[in-house]
Amino acid sequence: MQLIRNFSIIAHIDHGKSTLADRLIQTCGGLSEREMSNQVLDSMDLERERGITIKAQSVSLNYLSRDGKTYKLNFIDTPGHVDFSYEVSRSLSACEGALLVVDAAQGVEAQSVANCFTAMENDLEIIPVINKIDLPSAEPDRVINEIEEIIGLEAEDALLVSAKTGQGIDELLEAIVLKIPPPEGNPDGYVKALIIDSWFDNYLGVVSLVRVVDGKLTVGDKIKIMSTGLNHQLDELGVFTPKRSPRKCLEAGDVGYVVAGIKDIHGAPVGDTITSIKNPSTEQLPGFQKIKPRVFAGLFPVDSNDYEELRDALDKLSLNDAALHSEPETSQALGFGFRCGFLGMLHMEIIQERLEREYNLNLLTTAPTVIYEVLMTSGEKIHIDNPSKLPGVDKVSEIREPMIEADILVPQEFLGNVITLCIEKRGVQKKLLYVGNQISLTFELPMSEVVLDFFDRLKSVSRGYASFDYRFISYNAASLVKLDILINAERVDALSLIVHKDHADRKGRDLASKMKEFIPRQMYEVAIQAAIGAKIVARENVKALRKNVTAKCYGGDISRKRKLLEKQKEGKKRMKQFGSVEIPQSAFMAILHIGKDQ
Amino acid sequence: MTQDIQFTSPPPLSLYVHLPWCIKKCPYCDFNSHESNSGGIDEDRYIDSLIRDFESSLSLIHDREIVSIFIGGGTPSLFTAQTLERLLTTIDQHIGLKAGVEVTLEANPGAADHERFAAYHQIGINRLSIGVQSFNTNHLKSIGRVHDGDQAQDAIRFAKAAGFDQINLDLMYGLPGQQLEHAMQDLKTAVTQDTIHLSWYQLTLEPNTLFYKKPPVLPTDEKIWEIQDKGKTLLTEAGFENYEISAYARNEKYCQHNLNYWQFGDYLGIGAGAHSKITDSGKNVISRYTRHKIPDRYMQLSGKDEMVTGNWKLSIEDTILEFMMNSLRLSSGFSTRLFEERTGLSINSLELQLDKAIQCGWLDITDEKILPTNKGLTFLNDLLQCFMPSSS
Repeated sequence: MQLIRNFSIIAHIDHGKSTLADRLIQTCGGLSEREMSNQVLDSMDLERERGITIKAQSVSLNYLSRDGKTYKLNFIDTPGHVDFSYEVSRSLSACEGALLVVDAAQGVEAQSVANCFTAMENDLEIIPVINKIDLPSAEPDRVINEIEEIIGLEAEDALLVSAKTGQGIDELLEAIVLKIPPPEGNPDGYVKALIIDSWFDNYLGVVSLVRVVDGKLTVGDKIKIMSTGLNHQLDELGVFTPKRSPRKCLEAGDVGYVVAGIKDIHGAPVGDTITSIKNPSTEQLPGFQKIKPRVFAGLFPVDSNDYEELRDALDKLSLNDAALHSEPETSQALGFGFRCGFLGMLHMEIIQERLEREYNLNLLTTAPTVIYEVLMTSGEKIHIDNPSKLPGVDKVSEIREPMIEADILVPQEFLGNVITLCIEKRGVQKKLLYVGNQISLTFELPMSEVVLDFFDRLKSVSRGYASFDYRFISYNAASLVKLDILINAERVDALSLIVHKDHADRKGRDLASKMKEFIPRQMYEVAIQAAIGAKIVARENVKALRKNVTAKCYGGDISRKRKLLEKQKEGKKRMKQFGSVEIPQSAFMAILHIGKDQ
Repeated sequence: MTQDIQFTSPPPLSLYVHLPWCIKKCPYCDFNSHESNSGGIDEDRYIDSLIRDFESSLSLIHDREIVSIFIGGGTPSLFTAQTLERLLTTIDQHIGLKAGVEVTLEANPGAADHERFAAYHQIGINRLSIGVQSFNTNHLKSIGRVHDGDQAQDAIRFAKAAGFDQINLDLMYGLPGQQLEHAMQDLKTAVTQDTIHLSWYQLTLEPNTLFYKKPPVLPTDEKIWEIQDKGKTLLTEAGFENYEISAYARNEKYCQHNLNYWQFGDYLGIGAGAHSKITDSGKNVISRYTRHKIPDRYMQLSGKDEMVTGNWKLSIEDTILEFMMNSLRLSSGFSTRLFEERTGLSINSLELQLDKAIQCGWLDITDEKILPTNKGLTFLNDLLQCFMPSSS
């Protein structure tokens, strides 16, 4: 056990975590040159394309140290986006140390700060690493200063590396061995293993990534999942190198996978404890906080015949994604679909993309919303995750919206822009601190304003330099109203929004005019209205199309005329029939486009 | 769909001849046309190629009668009657053209004179289609035409004097800068020319044209609609029947050649880039063929297998859609018999699609005919969606 080191990497997106991981794997010979594809740990196509990590993964490496001993380095990869901070805390709980990787040119970013604090709370040994020092714009001294000032971490002997060129990698591996403590635990004690992650594999069933805390797991052992109380037999276990490599046993301190013929993901819940029948523990490991989705949206198949397929696809995705919630929803406008809960906007986009790509579904997604707490005049308290379900004004005594505290790190020159944005989003400034070249800002903001387009806007007003992290603080009463959209005088439930009273008229006008841009001209005139209660606050008309016919068609090349028809048909596929009106997918997301071009 | 294709007899066969050269390429034109360089056109070499092309295609059409000939382009009137006569004579020798069969030639006012037209008439061309486009010199300039308004009227005069009683005028509307009164003036001028046929169609910006890349400012949809609406009334009052989306005829003098396209008849297309549609009623298949597009290559390859650059059989779905794309352009629609004759399919297989189109108010069914309503004609592309395979 003295020769094991368990660690993870804390890094902001783009700061080179995946490249560094690849370099470590390569240096320790985890994969041959031939097998190295870039960013081997990001195995989903989506992860590679977007350059992000969504799910935690692990890899075990053998490292021959300068002291002549071979160490087993278990590296647990973590996602770098705020939506997935839950996954980060899970990965960290399986480690004794973490590498804080900061881009030598960009400096410290808010997400890394938040994750670093989580690591500190877990008593992890943190090794600061300045990456990309080969860049001409690298300023390691400034970055070291930022790490010390913003995070309060001693960074004088931070390691200077370039994952790209390989510079400093040997020193980094030595530092991992020297500075990160070996795991503690009793190899002969009662068996206790923590489930860090579980996922469903079509061939193996449920595969769980575990950290063995005490005792030893051996192939063939009878094990018990403590929360379910169910017994299973260990069919296979092993480590990732990063290929799946079966072993005979996993001992205290080890990180690896287990397969025990479990068919349902809920049979091996993340955070649960595995023990053995032979050597049972009575005591459960602390586990993790249950994760709660924060952002909700309706997902509807464009073709109602695809409903069953959508249900199956959501079931399959939730096998590997405990954070994804879904329950059936019926909309007058969109028919049968699902109201889904997500960790944040990125999570939502990723799920939507996976459904469309991996399951070939054509979907309509309604605008994202948060959960509102509604105090009824009857004294009852209800939670609303769907604006169309908001009870009538006469029955509501108070609406409360979720508030978050956002930490923003931004270079000085963009401070004005960022403050303006936060105020536009109904934010209240709490703190402002100068640290090096950056400013650390804290704002209290309504979460509903943040889930829509805050992240994109923040990036655009700061030319990509601002970063942010947030946490939920409380529900606060606010003056909120329901904004309805009527198409040809009929309310479209899937387009309703809950907005602040002071912004309602303007939002209504903006939304109606955006919708006008998105709804194509069709056979009949389309009237778009925005209403608050019975009051119409905006009206726009999409004029009727006069004709849709090809002027000329003689013998000749009929294939071009056919292509035009096919294009028109393809366009209709992305539209939902609402009465006699066809509404394109984009119109349901029109709210996200308000303010973008300003 | 699992039904079989079963033809009782092959449909009527037309012959299309493509002459691909123009003095200047128009910026809106997406046909296979090429500017003739200063050296001029080697007319004899091209006519020889057409003859080789035709003779090598005879095995496809066996001894079938040819019901119409259309010499299009490009600007066919750049060719002299002398050379064209060689082609027509060869065709007649092989097939035996019936007396009075419609033979149309496309002519542009920029390349027109009395003698030329008289010579065409003499070699058996009995219908002239003149690419007037507009009588307004400014609008002609805006669409890059080489002629002016006076030349357009001259060309019509020459054609009549040369003995042509079947004259079609091609006219466009929705031109850059065109107002309602301009368009009406064009139509008034056209109807007083005392011709029997008008092709009056909207200028559209097609891919692979100069206008597509650099779009001119066109009248608004509303204005174009007004022009179309008022124009139709004007033409109807002048005795023209709007028998196809853009085609108007007096005294039922329909263009037999185009009518055959719209009734999903067969056609052999010879010349650079020409398309053919041929039904083999013995094998129960409809095939389409395309010829090499570049005139020089076409002339080199003519008569050889490599001349045909594309050759495919229509699936049942293709056949149904292409039949509808053509026949529903006709205000009189089609009869059940025509559908079954031309597609080799039973109309019963289309019950669902027809019902949907009727429900939408796009189609009418009478005892004899299935025909588009006014709405169906105006929204033909939407109507045609009913006949597209749902998976495509």
